[in-house]
Amino acid sequence: MTESHPALALDDTVHQRVRLGILTVLSEAQECTFAALRDQLDLTDGNLNRHLKVLEQAELVQVTKGYEGRRPCTWLRLTRAGREALRREIAALEDLVRRHRATNPNS
Amino acid sequence: MDAEQTLVEVRRLRAQARARAHGGAWLPAAAIAALLLASIALYRWPFGQTSSIVAEYPFWAGVADEQRSPMLSYLFWFLGTPLVVGLTAAWYRRRERVSGMRVAWPLFAAAGLGVLVLLAVLAAAPSGPQPDALSAAGPWWPGFLTPLLPVAAGVVALGVAERSRALVAAGVWIALMAVWLCQWWPLGTIPGGMLSLRPGHYLVVMALPLLVFAAVRYARGRTAGD
Repeated sequence: MTESHPALALDDTVHQRVRLGILTVLSEAQECTFAALRDQLDLTDGNLNRHLKVLEQAELVQVTKGYEGRRPCTWLRLTRAGREALRREIAALEDLVRRHRATNPNS
Repeated sequence: MDAEQTLVEVRRLRAQARARAHGGAWLPAAAIAALLLASIALYRWPFGQTSSIVAEYPFWAGVADEQRSPMLSYLFWFLGTPLVVGLTAAWYRRRERVSGMRVAWPLFAAAGLGVLVLLAVLAAAPSGPQPDALSAAGPWWPGFLTPLLPVAAGVVALGVAERSRALVAAGVWIALMAVWLCQWWPLGTIPGGMLSLRPGHYLVVMALPLLVFAAVRYARGRTAGD
């Protein structure tokens, strides 16, 4: 039996750089505002929106629109599936790094 | 290597987000420690040795020792604990507005106030004659009827909300000390003897992990410019 390459465990939805960043930030709080996430990742509204739609469709992120005082505010939350997907992605990346070091000890 | 760079970036981002989301944990920890330390004033001889002690049950001051006034002790915890929860709620709401990141602080409020209400209900239960908590043959539960346990439950819940093992450990520490000090008489009984410490000393030891946590988190936040 052969062991599958860790790269195969990477999830295309999660592996994209910005989406991985979104999941990482959201994993550290119960909820986060759209504006705070945008500022933390240094993105434009449109760019963040586009990636959030992908994550929402994959049911990895939950989006709640409401008000903070009189101002409209969008709250984002990592779903259980999102937390699990992030955990798997990090584990796959760590596996890849370990494998790379084992095959290239001088790198 | 791409995977290695990605991991480095993920860790950096995670640390940054963690500091932003959980940088406010020092204030509730300091407030709870202050409440514990302020309760030292409820005892008649908080630090001084005395030849005889009358510890009235329930132990509304916190640990099984002589209180100045059971009513004063009762009011202290039943007003002080909600006050600390209210202060904490206001603090987290303010941080939410500034940082845009929300911590599950209602968990702390629910645990602290929930166990406090449970304590009031249990203490008011018509359980027949008052238990002789001071005898070895007494019932097993008097040690659980202390206002220190709602505080301990609140600290554990705060640790869960703030994802801090140190806070969870501080809560468990308060609970273990509270049960030990209320369950075994006289105060400070250990197998084969007893420690010659007074309620004030024990409360300082109880609050110490919270104080260290608050100081470390505050200093870390200042260094990071939080």
